[in-house]
Amino acid sequence: MLRKVLVVVLFVLSIACLLYGAFFRRVLVYDNLEKFERLKNIGITIKIPGYQQNSEAFEVQSQWFTEPEVVNAMTFDGISRYKDGRLISNYPDLKMLKGRMPCPT
Amino acid sequence: MERIRLKIQLAAAVLLNIGFLNWHTICFPVLNCHSCPISVFACPLGVIGQFVAVGMIPLSVIGLLLLTGLILARFLCGWVCPFGFVQELLYKVPYIKFGIPNWLRFIKYGVFAGLVVAVPVFLSTNSPLYFCRLCPVGSIESAIPWAVMRGSADAVGLSVRLGIVFGVAILAMGHRRFFCKVICPLGACLSVLNRLSLIFPRRGDQCTDCAVCGKTCPMEIDTKKGKVAVFSSNPEECISCLECHKKCPTRSVNLWG
Repeated sequence: MLRKVLVVVLFVLSIACLLYGAFFRRVLVYDNLEKFERLKNIGITIKIPGYQQNSEAFEVQSQWFTEPEVVNAMTFDGISRYKDGRLISNYPDLKMLKGRMPCPT
Repeated sequence: MERIRLKIQLAAAVLLNIGFLNWHTICFPVLNCHSCPISVFACPLGVIGQFVAVGMIPLSVIGLLLLTGLILARFLCGWVCPFGFVQELLYKVPYIKFGIPNWLRFIKYGVFAGLVVAVPVFLSTNSPLYFCRLCPVGSIESAIPWAVMRGSADAVGLSVRLGIVFGVAILAMGHRRFFCKVICPLGACLSVLNRLSLIFPRRGDQCTDCAVCGKTCPMEIDTKKGKVAVFSSNPEECISCLECHKKCPTRSVNLWG
């Protein structure tokens, strides 16, 4: 009986984790403008839609990602964490996290 | 049954590395590196390591592991895991065969807690101690192919990885599924749920306690009178290979029921 109760509890827990993680959970990720600037400073130009060439116009942007999108990004090391706990993209463009595009460097 | 299992293992090894499909948003609960250029799914251990390194818990992956653990558990190790299949082939190589003490099996839980979770949390995923950087599957499927494709590699890192692959291969030739029994952290996760799993060998009414199943078990599980399943001493190690079913004189071992 105890075994059956445990199985049912774990089953409900697994379904809840799976559904919440796969369909409802959203993760806020910031773009990595520091990397973009570093790349610009060493002479590598990356044309990103939305960002113009003058660095004054840079603003930190963020976007909500689903957990499966983050899983996909993580499998090619696309996300890391800042000192203040913010998740940032390892790429200058957040759009790169949604595909399997490698880092332009 | 052995031929069916062999065909399923072979098909799984091909289908999990079919190349043109990339569903890295989804994990598949076997040890198959997602850094492999032709892998289809993400490896749950790699995803867990990457998530905990940034202070997050991968709920979908934990949910998936729990669900597959409750339905299949280590049946996946015995029937699907490509590296388990490779180890079974290696064991067929003529080589000195040896036994291992029972306590070695607990190492895999330490590997999961230490190298998969603690190292990324307290150090980083760049640490050379991080499991993925030592994983023989990652070396075979990712480090070596990428080194060949790029034409360059970190010589020291690759040498260490090749040394680990060689060591695991030698141990797998000498002891059946050595890596699964002693090291595999994914096997450790699934083994916790083995006793509760839906698909798991169970003892039938015709059992005469002849203990033939114990003598033939590749995972060397002691067979005694058990209420839960066929095995009473360490059922978490059972990979549902059904060697016991094949050798049972009264055919009283069933996969479910």
